[in-house]
Amino acid sequence: MAQIILIIVSAMFINNFVVVQFLGICPFLGVSKDMKSAFGMGIAVTFVMTIACLITFPIFGLLKTYQIEYLEIIVFIFIIASLVQMIEMVLKKFSPTLYNAMGIYLPLITTNCAVLGVCELVIDEEILSILQIETMNLGYAVLYGLFAGLGFTLAIVIMSGLREKVNRLPINKHLKGFPIAMITACFIAMAFYVFALI
Amino acid sequence: MNNLLLDPIDIKTVLIVVLIVAVISVIFSLLIVLVSKLCAVKEDEKANAVKEKLAGANCGGCGFAGCADFAKALSEGKADVSMCGPTPNENKAEIANILGVPFSATEQAYAVVHCAGGINSKNKYDYIGNESCLSQALYMGGKKQCPNGCMGNGTCERVCPYNAIKVIDGVAYANKALCEACGLCVKNCPKKLVELIPKSSKVYVACSTYCKGKESMDNCKVGCIGCGLCAKNCPEGAITMVNNLPVIDYSKCSGCKTCAKKCPRKCIKEI
Repeated sequence: MAQIILIIVSAMFINNFVVVQFLGICPFLGVSKDMKSAFGMGIAVTFVMTIACLITFPIFGLLKTYQIEYLEIIVFIFIIASLVQMIEMVLKKFSPTLYNAMGIYLPLITTNCAVLGVCELVIDEEILSILQIETMNLGYAVLYGLFAGLGFTLAIVIMSGLREKVNRLPINKHLKGFPIAMITACFIAMAFYVFALI
Repeated sequence: MNNLLLDPIDIKTVLIVVLIVAVISVIFSLLIVLVSKLCAVKEDEKANAVKEKLAGANCGGCGFAGCADFAKALSEGKADVSMCGPTPNENKAEIANILGVPFSATEQAYAVVHCAGGINSKNKYDYIGNESCLSQALYMGGKKQCPNGCMGNGTCERVCPYNAIKVIDGVAYANKALCEACGLCVKNCPKKLVELIPKSSKVYVACSTYCKGKESMDNCKVGCIGCGLCAKNCPEGAITMVNNLPVIDYSKCSGCKTCAKKCPRKCIKEI
């Protein structure tokens, strides 16, 4: 139980994907102009991250038995890309509402580094000491993927909320738009850094 | 893993690598094919039928991302056929028929530029900078002394998907034969000089200035001085003076061209 809580807190806050590990910065800055689309993007990323962990973790086991772990990046990229394609088609068929909500963001996720990042991270040996567990198993990997995605959602929603507010402020003309967004991102990152200090 | 490059290449390892990657790719490609067959969604037939009838110009004048997007919005009842300029009336009637909505024919329109200034009007300063009317308008409202003069930087020329509007001698002119009334130039002109008028109209006012007579004379050789001769002489009473400018009501205009003959500044033009 303690381990599960540790995984959740670690994935969401301490090692937050966007503001601590700097993965998935492009959607973080690109799709955070309004809260609604930011939330849609976040949910879509969470969904893909969880499923990607679920598929890539066993495949890595397969690669490991033949001692060809060096192929991981090629195989993972290729699995994630085809996975996103399939998820898109399945959603279109069975849940048009969900498809409309995150349809346009799904193809963007194909090349999102946060998704590949989480797949690489759960097979990394360093994570064992971070999470204080003996061996990684599929359950932990999926849990880590899910909460890493939720951490991404948290960060991007906070960012979009702040950006919406900041846009209404009388800021210096030269700082308007993207520059002030970078400064906002800096403050969010600093706020999250506090978790690592505790 | 680093040793692999130093070791002599083991053909067995290579074979295993190729085999595993091939097997994974074949499995995933088969899965994609299977899923796409299982989850094939019928595209909206109504939207497709509507798209067939649209002009297919993809000009974006309706405010949607293209004809396909517009057709989708139409079939969902979120848009109106009259928002499209380029589609001819017969096709619009058919689209309304497919959608089951009433349709009233609107006359084909085309764009005119309400300015004939250009080299005939005086400049406040020489503009050297970004070739965009919007940028120029930021500097004291553009280089023309007349507050409503065409600056001739050609934003309308660049946005027009039909090459129907051209800047000649510093002022934009619209070509009646090429114009499809998408309305992009109307939206993009910072001075609001372009307007869509019915294709059958015979005259238009080639000036937009609301300056009084003397000021207008000072600014431009062909500017309207607001004398009102056109309004007084129009046999149909189709012209009214608003803010020192004649406004033609095309539903009353008979096309006699009296106004064009009477205008002392020649700023009502025959088409």
